[in-house]
Amino acid sequence: MELRAGSQSVKILRDISFEIFTNQVVAIVGPSGSGKSTLLGLLAGLDRPTQGSIRIHQTDITTLTETEMAHFRRQHIGYVFQAFHLIPTLTALENVALPLELQGISTGTSRAKTLLQSVGLEHRLHHYPVQLSGGEQQRVALARAFIVKPPLLLADEPTGNLDSSTGAMVIDLLWELHQQHGSTLILVTHDMSLASRAQRILTLRDGAMVNETTQPLPSFEA
Amino acid sequence: MIPVSVKLAWREINSAWSRFLFLFLCIALGVGAIVAVDLFAVNVEQVILGDTRALLGGDVELSWRRAISDKGRNVLDSLADRNMVLSHVTETAAMATVDSPNPQTPLTKIASQLVELKAIDSAYPLYGRLVVEPDLPTAQLLDSPQSGCSHSPCFGALVQESLLIRLNLTVGSELRIGQASFLITAVLKKEPDRIANGFSLGPRVMISREALKATMLIQIGSRVQERYRMSISDSTSLEPLMGELRGRLSQEGAQVSSFRDAQPRLRRFLDQLNLYLGLIGFTILLVGGIGVACTIQGFLTQKIPIIATLKTLGADSSQIIRLYLTQSLFLGGIGSLLGVLVGVVLHRGLPLLLQGIIPETMPMSPTVAPILRGIVLGILATLAFSLWPLLAIRHVSPALVYRQAVDHSQDINNTQSRLTRWLTFLQHWWNDRAQLMVSIGIMVGVTGLAMWQAHSPALGVFFSGACAVAVLLLLGATGVLYRILRHVPIPQRYLLRHAVKNLQRPGNFTKAMTLAIGIGVMLMTTLTIVQRSLLDLIGNQIPSQAPSFFFIDIQPDQQPQFISVLEQKFPDSPYNLVPVVRSRITAINGQPIDPEAHKGKRNGWYFTREYVLTTSRDLPQDNILTKGNWWDHTKESNPGGATESPSDFPLVSVEEDAAKNLELTLGSTLTLDIQGVEFVAKVASLRQVDWSSFSINFFMIVEPGSFDGAPFTYIATTRVPTNLEVPLQQAIVAVMPNVTAINVGDVLENIGRIFQQLAMGIQALALLCLVTGAVVMIAAISINRYRRLHELAIVKALGGSRKLLMFSLGVEFGVIGAFAGLVGIGLGCLLSWSLLYFFFDLIWNFDLIVLSTGLLLTILLSLMTGFLGTYRLLGFPPLSVLRQE
Repeated sequence: MELRAGSQSVKILRDISFEIFTNQVVAIVGPSGSGKSTLLGLLAGLDRPTQGSIRIHQTDITTLTETEMAHFRRQHIGYVFQAFHLIPTLTALENVALPLELQGISTGTSRAKTLLQSVGLEHRLHHYPVQLSGGEQQRVALARAFIVKPPLLLADEPTGNLDSSTGAMVIDLLWELHQQHGSTLILVTHDMSLASRAQRILTLRDGAMVNETTQPLPSFEA
Repeated sequence: MIPVSVKLAWREINSAWSRFLFLFLCIALGVGAIVAVDLFAVNVEQVILGDTRALLGGDVELSWRRAISDKGRNVLDSLADRNMVLSHVTETAAMATVDSPNPQTPLTKIASQLVELKAIDSAYPLYGRLVVEPDLPTAQLLDSPQSGCSHSPCFGALVQESLLIRLNLTVGSELRIGQASFLITAVLKKEPDRIANGFSLGPRVMISREALKATMLIQIGSRVQERYRMSISDSTSLEPLMGELRGRLSQEGAQVSSFRDAQPRLRRFLDQLNLYLGLIGFTILLVGGIGVACTIQGFLTQKIPIIATLKTLGADSSQIIRLYLTQSLFLGGIGSLLGVLVGVVLHRGLPLLLQGIIPETMPMSPTVAPILRGIVLGILATLAFSLWPLLAIRHVSPALVYRQAVDHSQDINNTQSRLTRWLTFLQHWWNDRAQLMVSIGIMVGVTGLAMWQAHSPALGVFFSGACAVAVLLLLGATGVLYRILRHVPIPQRYLLRHAVKNLQRPGNFTKAMTLAIGIGVMLMTTLTIVQRSLLDLIGNQIPSQAPSFFFIDIQPDQQPQFISVLEQKFPDSPYNLVPVVRSRITAINGQPIDPEAHKGKRNGWYFTREYVLTTSRDLPQDNILTKGNWWDHTKESNPGGATESPSDFPLVSVEEDAAKNLELTLGSTLTLDIQGVEFVAKVASLRQVDWSSFSINFFMIVEPGSFDGAPFTYIATTRVPTNLEVPLQQAIVAVMPNVTAINVGDVLENIGRIFQQLAMGIQALALLCLVTGAVVMIAAISINRYRRLHELAIVKALGGSRKLLMFSLGVEFGVIGAFAGLVGIGLGCLLSWSLLYFFFDLIWNFDLIVLSTGLLLTILLSLMTGFLGTYRLLGFPPLSVLRQE
């Protein structure tokens, strides 16, 4: 993956190859600028690699057109951002219902309500993002990511903008939703304690994968 | 349930009303201008088509520019038993004088005034109503009054108020016209068969037919318009009657009209006026469109994070474009509604600007169709102008949710040659099918709208083509100027450098602002130059030797008297007296002319007009012979020489343009009808005539002696100093009351006044175009106001004073104004030159004062607009701005 800025291009990722199985939880770790977010963006089809291919559920997403990618994304991928990225002019309920509506499903509101209840925000349905705390905003973002029941959930430093206790609450919720919906979860973090809860940890440095560790599922330990 | 996307669209608008204020204004001004002109056109239509029978004065009118012929009279008589009502109206110009109660008053102290006399019968008006004050029966008002007259015969007269004002009279005063006296019995408020008073020689005076006879004004060869109107019964069908009349009167020089073609000239004039005004209105809408495009582009730039987020959620570009397109159209709709309000207000103002040119009693009620049309045009223009910036949504990468956008345009500019850059651009454009289709769609759409506005496909295509050329030229010239600016050594002072750099930074709207203002400047320059050239032609370019007076209808027996008055009382005034006779062409080379076949055709009037013939021994002074030979002087001494000429026909010399249009060459024969008598002449020469010399000039001059015995009269011209104008007029009128004196200065002043009024109406709309350009500029400035605010705050925090900041802003806006002015004025010169050269056949004069004033005013406008758009930013305390970062 190369990025151009001016006349210079920067190789952000190189020689990365890995496979992730359904229902797995994978953490991508590494120092700032190592290419974690870019990798996650590539997996979500938000960026296109300059070389190589990415296959999700038998589909090579690198060959999709922009519109096909958008349609693929709305059915298969949920995304949670460090900066939440809620639409400021929509209420919490409307933000959560939006992905369904983009698919042409007009009955998204009741499902959105249920999801907001499950993240403990039943009292905040009609609040706008600016009226919510950071933790609450990220919980709305989680509900929004899960509303289409995506087989693949990508989370980019989901706790990066939150204090530790709120962050922990959001992570618990993320795990809970992952288990409920059976999604594959890939998260980017530099919080090693959070990474340690994943089954696999991919470590990036200067755009290359330098380490991969696999650990037994916590549930097996129990 | 309302879909979230609709809520999203609504809330985004709702949270930023103030941001869209200028978008509303841009659309509203364009729609307003179009609605106003359309409403006005509908009102004019209502007046003209509303009561066409009243306007024509009947169902059918037969009119002659001379006394009715015997055959014409027979035709009229034969209609008497067909259950029709007839009315006879005679119109002529005449001199009205105020009778002095004191017979000792010197003649030159008696006031006189050229009037348009109209003699009516008891059946007048067949349709409509004559409005007079006091409101008494017309017959009673026109009858011979019982008392109040100092002379006899005496009759009642209805006069327009302007006559009372000019001669300082009141109802009850006495007037003299020709050999009769008149008591003014009422003021004429409205004639049903006259809707506009624009081009008239003088105030109207209405008298009875009996009174006209008593004036003795109508003599053989007098300039007169005889109108015979008839109202037909419902059972008579119009078309067969018209056909019959045209057939029976084809050789009688009569004009046969039905109410369906009432006031053709006025209708054509107003149609043209509305067309021009409408196209200026459409131009305003297009300029407003630039503002829409800028606003939408600026709005989208701020919405990039949201667009990226929507994309990560799986929205495809077309969904997002639809979302924002809906918003744009909604905004355009609101702007259009606002435009309707603007239009209705402007529509009330237009008649004030066009006073004297348009019908006096116009209904001013707004009608639905123009309003709906305005709204549709406004929304379609919004669609055309927002679609292009909206397409950029496709290029917003969802990756922007985690990465900053980098502007690549400069890098490409710096790394590639100009040719490669253009090729790359064209290649991208060609490969991007959607963009290609939208571009074609927008072009077709705008052309379609122009066709709709012009009511003509050809004109619509021409107009949009001209617009496209103007925009390309404006953009090209602006591009060159900014390129030059880039290579000018930038001043070392930071604020100056900042100002110049600001004009060229990525994401600026400099070119859009220059374009928007430039179009208005171009329009204004063109109109001003054309108007000045035409006014110059009317007013200032009259040769110093031009006559100051025309006298018409001098009877042959009055000729010696006329000469003696001039020679005795005004010995220093040169005069020119020529015999004239009125005629119409009936055949060319023996082929009869059907005037109906030439009606309404370009230059058809050469076939249908009345020709005033004269004879002359010598080639007139201002004429140049271009073909053939002038006749031999010696023949004049031979009475009846004409018939002895080798060709057997008298010879005629024809003005070359008329000859060209009538397809006459040397040797062609021309058959003319002179007051019912056929006269055949052979073309012996062609002449070039300088019509602007204001001397008496003729399309046709016949060799001397050819029409001896024909009913000719004399016309005379003379030139007197201004202080002798009134005495001269009075002296002639006092002894020859049937002679009409036309003061050239007055007529030119009248034409000039009407022309100026017309120009003012058109210029007012063009000014609105400039105002719209200014609104576009404010809109473009306000888009980047946060960036500007931030920069101003930093400079302020570093110690920059308000005065310094204003200086920097002033340089920036001044450059925009200067460039828009230079380019707009340049193109305006080009456009006005083409108009004057190709259309008016006039020479374009470089007028430094007009052009430099235009440039200064544009810079001033740009400065004022710029400061209006930024003055609030200067007032913000820097800390409050920087703290919000």
